[in-house]
Amino acid sequence: MNDPWAPDLAPLAREILAGALVPGAATLPLLWLVQDRRGWISDEALAWVAGSTGRSLAQVEAVVSFYSMFRRAPAGRWVIEVCRTLSCELAGAPRLLAHLEDRLGVRAGETTPDGAFTLLAVECLASCGSGPVLHVNGIPFERVTPERADALLDALREDRLPERPEADLWTWPPAS
Amino acid sequence: MDLAPRILTARFGVPGSHTLEVARACGVYADLGRVLRLEAEAIAAQVRASGLRGRGGAGFPTGAKWGFVPPPERRQGRPVHLFANADESEPGTFKDRVLLWHDPHRVIEGTLVAARALCCHRVWIYLRGEFRFLQERIDAALGEARQANLVGPDILGSGFDCEIRTFRGAGAYVCGEESGLLESVEGRRGLPRIKPPYPALVGAFGDPTVVQNVETLANLPWILEHGAQAYRAWGTEASSGTRLFSVSGPVRRPGVYELPLGTPFRELLEGCAGGLRPGRRLLAVLPGGSSTPLLTAEQALGATLDHECLEALGSFLGSGGVIVLDDSVDPVAALANLTRFYAHESCGQCTPCREGCGWMARIAARVAAGEGRQEDLVTLEDLARSLRGRTLCAFGDAAAAPVLSFLETFRPAFLARVRP
Amino acid sequence: MNRVTCTIDGQTVTVPEGTALIEAARALGIEIPHFCYHPHLPVAGNCRMCVVEIQGSPKLEIACNTAAREGMAVRTDTEAVRAARRANMEFLLANHPLDCPICDQSGECLLQEYWDAHARHASRLRDPKVTKGKRIDLGDDLVLDQERCIACTRCVRFSETVTRTGDLVLLGRSDHQRIGPATGARITHAYQGCLAEICPVGALTSRSFRFRKRVWWLEEVDSICPGCATGCNVRVCVQDDTVHRILARRNDAVNRSWACDEGRGLYRELAAPERPLLGRVAGRPAAREEALAAAAARLGSARRPGLVLGGQATCEALLALVRLHERALPAARLFHVPGPDPGRRAWSDGILVHADKDPDTRGVRLLATCAGGVEDGEALARALADEALDLLLVLEDDALGRLGIPAAPGVVALAFHGHRSAAAAEVLVPVAGCWEQDGTYVNAAGRVQRLHRAVRPAGEAVPAYVALHRLGALLGVDLGCSTSEAAAGALAETISGFPREVGPEGVVLPPPLDGGTP
Repeated sequence: MNDPWAPDLAPLAREILAGALVPGAATLPLLWLVQDRRGWISDEALAWVAGSTGRSLAQVEAVVSFYSMFRRAPAGRWVIEVCRTLSCELAGAPRLLAHLEDRLGVRAGETTPDGAFTLLAVECLASCGSGPVLHVNGIPFERVTPERADALLDALREDRLPERPEADLWTWPPAS
Repeated sequence: MDLAPRILTARFGVPGSHTLEVARACGVYADLGRVLRLEAEAIAAQVRASGLRGRGGAGFPTGAKWGFVPPPERRQGRPVHLFANADESEPGTFKDRVLLWHDPHRVIEGTLVAARALCCHRVWIYLRGEFRFLQERIDAALGEARQANLVGPDILGSGFDCEIRTFRGAGAYVCGEESGLLESVEGRRGLPRIKPPYPALVGAFGDPTVVQNVETLANLPWILEHGAQAYRAWGTEASSGTRLFSVSGPVRRPGVYELPLGTPFRELLEGCAGGLRPGRRLLAVLPGGSSTPLLTAEQALGATLDHECLEALGSFLGSGGVIVLDDSVDPVAALANLTRFYAHESCGQCTPCREGCGWMARIAARVAAGEGRQEDLVTLEDLARSLRGRTLCAFGDAAAAPVLSFLETFRPAFLARVRP
Repeated sequence: MNRVTCTIDGQTVTVPEGTALIEAARALGIEIPHFCYHPHLPVAGNCRMCVVEIQGSPKLEIACNTAAREGMAVRTDTEAVRAARRANMEFLLANHPLDCPICDQSGECLLQEYWDAHARHASRLRDPKVTKGKRIDLGDDLVLDQERCIACTRCVRFSETVTRTGDLVLLGRSDHQRIGPATGARITHAYQGCLAEICPVGALTSRSFRFRKRVWWLEEVDSICPGCATGCNVRVCVQDDTVHRILARRNDAVNRSWACDEGRGLYRELAAPERPLLGRVAGRPAAREEALAAAAARLGSARRPGLVLGGQATCEALLALVRLHERALPAARLFHVPGPDPGRRAWSDGILVHADKDPDTRGVRLLATCAGGVEDGEALARALADEALDLLLVLEDDALGRLGIPAAPGVVALAFHGHRSAAAAEVLVPVAGCWEQDGTYVNAAGRVQRLHRAVRPAGEAVPAYVALHRLGALLGVDLGCSTSEAAAGALAETISGFPREVGPEGVVLPPPLDGGTP
């Protein structure tokens, strides 16, 4: 916990551990803390979480490897997760993914050489009614046409996450 | 016909509905002080009488579920834990996300009602890993509620203490299964537990535990305010109240709709979702998420949206995730998509699911690519049958259902795609 | 405890409440096929092989996690059960490499056995198999093949609950998951052999045994590990009069199903280069009989002899020595020097490994009591320093090494190990190792357990009680220990209450023998 590896994380980690009913229950929150702050979970981070939670290194690695969102390698500045499950597929996800692959010059699962983008094809993001959907660093963008994807990439290249009009993204159509 | 009450969606679309101020102005928390002063049993009795059933997928009666938890005098000093399940991961289902986005305070209020009924003082709202944006919103709502003495010690002077926190998963469909969720909360791989023991007796941290879908919880304040009979006035005998239906697929207005249970599917499709696109014909419907067996167009158009009708048709109401397929959809490709999902999400713990889901996905992909033979369809069906009812948790049934129902419903389309 | 009665395949069985059906069936001699279940590990219920049909239950249930209830009617061989097992085997073998010809597990692999008994299907897989890591160096005595693994998690649960190291886990998920340690790590605990042994398939194999022998050539002999005072029950695996490996033998009261790596490796002492296989007299090699005659001559003429009761000797040998003292050498002083021998560390781990590295210290105490007591190592050191002894007979232990004394005059050693006392002996008689003889040890908990001869004694060695019996004969007395049966009978006669029959699980000494010595 007081590992010199993570002095900046220590106060938050202490808070997480204090709120955990048993030390092991802090595992996911601590892993998120590391990934949010460092972008990925290194071997040092694993050891730090293991030491903080009283788990073995292997046990923490087992946990990390189980959950699809934890990363054991650095990712791009913008992580784009494109949903490809049925409703999004029917709404055009394959076309969107292919378009992004073309525009970024990488295949799903890869990071652009400049480290700007990591493109991932993921399973259902629970936005089935407004597909195709993608998440940029965890922020959802819905009904993403190739044209909107281009505008999104342009904004991200300028290091800017575009505004999402709430009315557009969170429509709850009233029953007629 | 009476207009059904908006039990769950009254504040949807109201600007600022996620803030405490607006939520309170719209009636959230208005009755909470009274409810928290009720005896736990009085709350449970109302919930039992309401006939409320779980909205997560299994449809288990909520009152009965609470009944399995030992009462305080038989807990030997152990606490009870409540988890609000917002792991919403079933393909086709997005109503919990919309509910939490629009009305986090009603979910918090419902959670407090359940906690009071269970004499539980510590609650977690478990969000799927991808719901970071919701976690921020709910944490903000919890912060406001704490400030207003709606969460924390001695809520509204009732003497009831309850702390609520959020907990975020990290990408695993199976954590929506209640014991997988508990493993995840305890910081392990989200592997569903073998039962017995059941979570009501041995759940999180070895303590009695209830895991309840957030939509289920959001019904509770209304039931307590208006009474079980008012709730039962909507819905059917075995499916009371209203439900949130998520409609996706090629319809004109996909979205989340609240309807009384027992409403004809046709009304959801045509009245709410605006029907199919011009010139299209209904092919089939996955009525309760991707894990529920398909209804043919004919079955669907004659169906009502309640447990009784859908179970009689061999399917389930599930999570209320209605995926509509029209005649533009290639069912062979659709099945390949769904089997890939289950192969990706199988936790890998038990043999049939671990090996079967991946195998089925490989066959389905090959068939969709035109590389299949007739014998592959036989194998695919055999594998799905061998999965069904034989796995450690319900995932196996979920993975088998689309395979079996797609093969049955669309046999000609599959046969046309394979070589002899 | 309450007991419940149920029927399994029409046979009635009464078991303690809470007993799993798989164990209730076992009590009836019905073996329900299973991979993940292990009686000494937490129930996982993941392999789905042990399904049974329970009257009134709509689905098949797993016998490992279903407790027998009063009146329950269970069937283990219905068409539904058979179909489920067949399907399960098809799932298990789908991604399996099917490399039996080059797999060390062949012959003791549950996949093979159950395929033969329950499936006999041909593979229907027409897609590529999932590929994983092969021949991974997992530990000093452990090799991992991830493709052969069926994810039963026995090894994971062992690491969590027995060694409590948590160093072996499942990584990833779905059909891509694999067993492994943390990245770059290896397994370093002292129970690697257990991992190889409990692995029901060829995923974890023992490096020291790999490619040495096909297991169907091996015979198994039940015996006891001589490595420490725990007295783990083991199976000695033998072919052509050679021990090839040691496996644990289940004894819930002693070692459950485990054995430590140190103990598993002790069979190598049989062929240790320093092991004496011939007798020696005054620095010259000597036939056993010549060495015994020389020993008898020295004993007969000694005026102040000392006899050392060794904790590595069997009770039979100890009895023979005590009788030799009684009947032929009443003036001798008796000693016992607690271990360990030089080169062995007196460590313990709270699992199986006992700090006392002698397997029969309790036997020494019992026999010492019969003989009216023994003197300790300090007394022996003093006696040697004072030259109070003109002869010292050392039975098996390295008494001199234990005392840190380089040499002493007039040592007669009956030795299995080539230790310091053996090297310093004027007369050396080679004796059998524990795998080479029948005999009895009493473990630290006072459990009397029987050794069974697995191989013939090497070279000129004989069991120590035979050698001592012969010494007695040369000195004109009959010790009654010419055979193991005679010696065991003599033990029961000599020590009132000492059990004559102990059975495969041993017998705890009855009071007052169980009290041990302060």
